[in-house]
Amino acid sequence: MRNIFNLFFRYSAFIVFVIFEIIALYLIVNYNKSQKEIWAHSSNLFTGTINKYVQGVEDFFALQATNDSLLIENANLLQTIIDYRVTSKDNAFQDYEDKDSTNNYTLIPSRICSKTLNLRNNYLTLCKGSSSGIEVGMGVITFNGIVGIVKSVSKNYSTVLMVLNSESRISAKVATKNYIGNLVWSGSDLRELNMMDVPKHSEIAVGDSILTSGYSISFPPEIFIGVVESYTIEGGSNNYNIKVQMKSDLSTTDYVYVVNFLQAEEKEEILSENE
Amino acid sequence: MNSIWQRNIIRGAIILVIQLLLLKRIDITFGDFNYIHFTIYPIIFALLPYKTNRTALIPIGFAIGLIVDLFYDSLGVHAAASTFICYFRFYILNLLSPAEGYGKEHLTAFRHGLPWFLSYLSALLFIHLLLLYSLEAFSFVYFNEIILRTIFSFIASLFVLMLGTLIFNPKY
Repeated sequence: MRNIFNLFFRYSAFIVFVIFEIIALYLIVNYNKSQKEIWAHSSNLFTGTINKYVQGVEDFFALQATNDSLLIENANLLQTIIDYRVTSKDNAFQDYEDKDSTNNYTLIPSRICSKTLNLRNNYLTLCKGSSSGIEVGMGVITFNGIVGIVKSVSKNYSTVLMVLNSESRISAKVATKNYIGNLVWSGSDLRELNMMDVPKHSEIAVGDSILTSGYSISFPPEIFIGVVESYTIEGGSNNYNIKVQMKSDLSTTDYVYVVNFLQAEEKEEILSENE
Repeated sequence: MNSIWQRNIIRGAIILVIQLLLLKRIDITFGDFNYIHFTIYPIIFALLPYKTNRTALIPIGFAIGLIVDLFYDSLGVHAAASTFICYFRFYILNLLSPAEGYGKEHLTAFRHGLPWFLSYLSALLFIHLLLLYSLEAFSFVYFNEIILRTIFSFIASLFVLMLGTLIFNPKY
């Protein structure tokens, strides 16, 4: 105890000095506007850098969640676009139709679990299945292209027959001119499709957009697929053979949207009646 | 003893009045050049008797600094600088210790000679001003401004102080 007092007396000047300096600094920071701002600012600078790093680490772990939420957001936006296209087209005589036909399509965002691209018949697996509302026959799209059609569904997974598959045939049309044809894969290039069955009297130019026709139950109309790269008429044929360059690169695609057409059953029924 | 304290108090009061009512109002500005501010009150601490208790010196510095602050509307800035030089005075005195020692009390030019007093006062004043303007800017972003202000104010203030010393040349 005595030593402590000795210590105190010995350094009393220093201790008192420190105390009064602290009081003075406290006064400076608290009663002077500019100093207060600078203090707050520079401490923010310091903590700001630390926070930024911590936030960076946190963001890294939150990437998945962020991605998912963005995906849902994108799906909603895309859905709005699709619905808008459908309604603005179909309801040209809107006054005479009931307006309940909006919201025909809903989109289910999903991550791709696995995919093959190097085979003749390529499939991909989605990380969502019947529990998320995916059913056989639904179309799968990305923001700027189509991916394929759901072929089989389990509870949590589903298999998609990609457009890059010899079995795949997708109804498509040339934009603005409305010539209908079928898309098949050329079999080699991952971004090249062949469009068959377009009659040779039609006027086609290189660079024309190819869109989905909307005739099938899988895809909504007017989903962009790609552009015309070149076209030929084979000898003796009545149809063009159009090479279509796809816009979306399926080898780098990780997230897709499954299209749920709410009136699918009804449409399917009436289509099968015709056959 | 008593008379020395009386002298110091009266002297301090007069210097503070000059500082706060007169020198504070002097504003020397040539365009962008506004680095001259007269700051003479640190001489109060310089002239306090050598035997003043080191610990007691610090609250004195704080109190006088605070009074100056109240007039300068810069609460704490002058107090911090004054507190610091009151604490640091001891080390400057040790450093500048003349061969015959400080004797009993008086730290004046009359007793120890003008060159000694000049260096003693310069050291004290320069540290005080540097600290003062640093705290006023409160950020080393304004480094150039702090240095310019310190140097020009130092020269101006020292000139006034030396003039005063030569005129009055106090014994105590």
